[in-house]
Amino acid sequence: MNAFFDLLLGGVFHAAVLFLVAAGLQLVFGVQKIVNLACGSFYALGAYFGVTAVKWAIAAGAAPYLFLPVLIVAGIAIGSIIGPPIEALLRTVYRRDEAFQLLLTFALVLMFQDALRFFFGANPQQLGDTAMVYGTLSAGSVLVPTYNALVIIASVAIAFGLGAFLQRTRFGRILRATAENREMSEAMGVNVRRVYATVFTLGTILGTVGGALVVPTAAASLDMPVELVVEAFAVVVIGGLGSMRGALIGALIVGIMRALAIRYYAELEMLAIYVVVIAVLIARPAGLFGKPVE
Amino acid sequence: MRVAAIIAALVALAVLPRVVSPYFVTLMLPAFAYGIALLGFNLLFGYTGLLSFGHALFVAIGAYSAAVMTAKLGVKSFELIVLGAAFAAVLVAIPVGLLSVRYVRIFFGILTLAFGMLFHSFLFKFYDITGGDTGLRVLRPLLLGFAFQDLDKTAFLVGPFYYYCLALLALLGFVMWRIVGSPFGLHLMAIRENRRKAEYLGVRARLFCLLAFAISAFYCAVGGVMLAIGIGQADPELAYWTHSGELVFMTVLGGFANFFGPLIGAFSYIFLKSQLMSITEYWRFVMGVILVLIVVLFPRGLVGVAQTAWARIKRS
Amino acid sequence: MMNLVETADVAKAYGDFVALDGVTLSVREGELVSIVGPNGAGKTTLVNVLTGMLAPTRGIVRFKGNDIAGIGPVRLAEHGMARAFQLVHIFPALSVAETIAIAVVSRTGKAFRFFGSVRGDDAVMQRVREVAAIFGLEGKLDSEARLLSQGEKKLLDIASAFALAPEVILLDEPTSGVSSADKHGIMRTLIDAARRGGVKAIILVEHDMDLVAEYSSRIVALQAGKVLADRPPAAFFSDPALINAVVGKMPAQRH
Repeated sequence: MNAFFDLLLGGVFHAAVLFLVAAGLQLVFGVQKIVNLACGSFYALGAYFGVTAVKWAIAAGAAPYLFLPVLIVAGIAIGSIIGPPIEALLRTVYRRDEAFQLLLTFALVLMFQDALRFFFGANPQQLGDTAMVYGTLSAGSVLVPTYNALVIIASVAIAFGLGAFLQRTRFGRILRATAENREMSEAMGVNVRRVYATVFTLGTILGTVGGALVVPTAAASLDMPVELVVEAFAVVVIGGLGSMRGALIGALIVGIMRALAIRYYAELEMLAIYVVVIAVLIARPAGLFGKPVE
Repeated sequence: MRVAAIIAALVALAVLPRVVSPYFVTLMLPAFAYGIALLGFNLLFGYTGLLSFGHALFVAIGAYSAAVMTAKLGVKSFELIVLGAAFAAVLVAIPVGLLSVRYVRIFFGILTLAFGMLFHSFLFKFYDITGGDTGLRVLRPLLLGFAFQDLDKTAFLVGPFYYYCLALLALLGFVMWRIVGSPFGLHLMAIRENRRKAEYLGVRARLFCLLAFAISAFYCAVGGVMLAIGIGQADPELAYWTHSGELVFMTVLGGFANFFGPLIGAFSYIFLKSQLMSITEYWRFVMGVILVLIVVLFPRGLVGVAQTAWARIKRS
Repeated sequence: MMNLVETADVAKAYGDFVALDGVTLSVREGELVSIVGPNGAGKTTLVNVLTGMLAPTRGIVRFKGNDIAGIGPVRLAEHGMARAFQLVHIFPALSVAETIAIAVVSRTGKAFRFFGSVRGDDAVMQRVREVAAIFGLEGKLDSEARLLSQGEKKLLDIASAFALAPEVILLDEPTSGVSSADKHGIMRTLIDAARRGGVKAIILVEHDMDLVAEYSSRIVALQAGKVLADRPPAAFFSDPALINAVVGKMPAQRH
């Protein structure tokens, strides 16, 4: 039983991180109708930069227990820096066919692959035991690293925050209006350009923070960018493109399935996820929460 | 005039092994392989308007069919291998296609990406059958029954195999030319331009998309066979989604709106990649920049650039 | 004489919203039936039901005696009914000849030919030229559709529907966006083409009451999803209350 809970929590932790990336994807798709293949690259960038930032911080004398805030700040920082210029590049293809938008993001994947290697080297980077400085929580006979619990809580908080932002703030309403109907928004005086830039940067930050938060448990590696894309896409397909709720539920499904698969059927790991993806698509072509499109 | 250019190109390619180094000639083999694969891919993308991000799946089926048939089943006849691989690819293409053509645009791309990765993880995990991450060896086949035993590997590849592949490319190219010019091809283009209107004119959109999907799978598998025999190996990375992305890249590099674009794209890409790899280890970055330039500035690819230049020359 | 197209008590509801509430009408050979009514009266929904796009929530819709509820555009074309749209629908990158050829290929059942050439098929190209000539497009056969003028695009849209050699054609505001001077010319071209092309009946959705008055054999007026009136033009236009309900003004003097 303990092993099972252990497993479940591991899955939920992974889901928490996946949710952040998927939320970024959904936000950008919802508003700008662009599917960003480079989401995995942002994730990896966040991871690498997070490791680097923590190492700097510790070398500069910071206390080890500050590493979580450092990771978050690092994720936000690097996301804010690369988001705007990349959005400016994507601006050149907003009006074009989706195929070209997808290809442009694929070009970014290629470029990031080597850029990451150039800046951070070919070897995976990790923080070692730094995460354990927070110790472990115990509930009965179940042990969970406090760090993991903190990340799950943070992710849930961000989920609620995003929801509140989208539903209750003025900018959130503008965002949703622009997503519904760009022309109408423009006609009503919305600076669509600024909305797009902000949304994309926000989506980027969600990705980089996700990557930063994962490094205590997984090494930052050059495989990350291309591997994560597949999982992230599984999440948005299951949850439904453009839906935040879908990102949450989809992430949970994928995260837990993955944990179960690794434990019980190691060979099947990703296979199981794809089977679920296909099954969901047969039953509900638009995903669980997506809008039907044909 | 176009016919003359094609004949000239074929003659040039036929003569090539006599005038350049064997290394260069061995580069041509993947160019032929991708040329065939892309002819099929572009039927789906350029002519029908469906962008698949999972077509490397069929290239991998071709490669692994060649491996399984030569190394495990002892089938050495190249002709049988090609037929077997194509059959396997079409068999897979039907359910995948049936599921995928219900969607259009981005959903089609994502779904095909998922299928491609499904196959990849299948190849990776079932190492008893597929050799896992080390892949499977592909043995030298018999061409039209001939073994060419006295030729070593390189001599075989730059000799009989080269000419066989060239002939196959010419043949399959001709077949594809007829397909795109046929009533079927016209209906595919109608689907691309305006699916709703096409249906009102009696075009059976879903069925034809499925057929285009199957034909493209056929071509990709044949390309995969050629690729695998040239390398001597079938590798699971052939099915990875980034390889599918490369297929799209090559097609757009050459020009997806023109019949010959994908062929030019295949040759250019292979050549460009090998040159870049010898200059820098960060060749992926350069390729990425090139793709950005194409997407933003030269969306009609090399063929488009040539056409614009030619139009300008004619005017002055 | 059999009804070519008929509906019996057709209703279509979207949740609480009732778009059509018991519409019964029929179209016979030789008729040009106009469907009129203010926006929101249900014309679009009715058209979608008549062309097999929507299955009604109640009632029957038949074409030549066959149930066509929700059969979709492809099977509709096979049955022998064609539809031209209000908003121009063309194939931007295809030429006029290619556009018309698509319909001809469908009509002659040649779509599954993977190997033959369209350009080289004399029978197809001959028919393409015929249809293009009827609509005055024979000089533009090789022009890409996106390069045509708006009026030409409209003609091409309708021409391609005609090329299906349908028995019934449904024209959805065929003269919208066309200047008043040209409207009658287009209507005459359409009716002439229909007659020559073996089209047995035309269903017309129109806002321009002049055209409706001039060319209809019968007018069906819709209001709030119901049939308000189903009469020949003379009986229709002699009822001021009816006209008011539908349009709000009398048509101009007839030519």
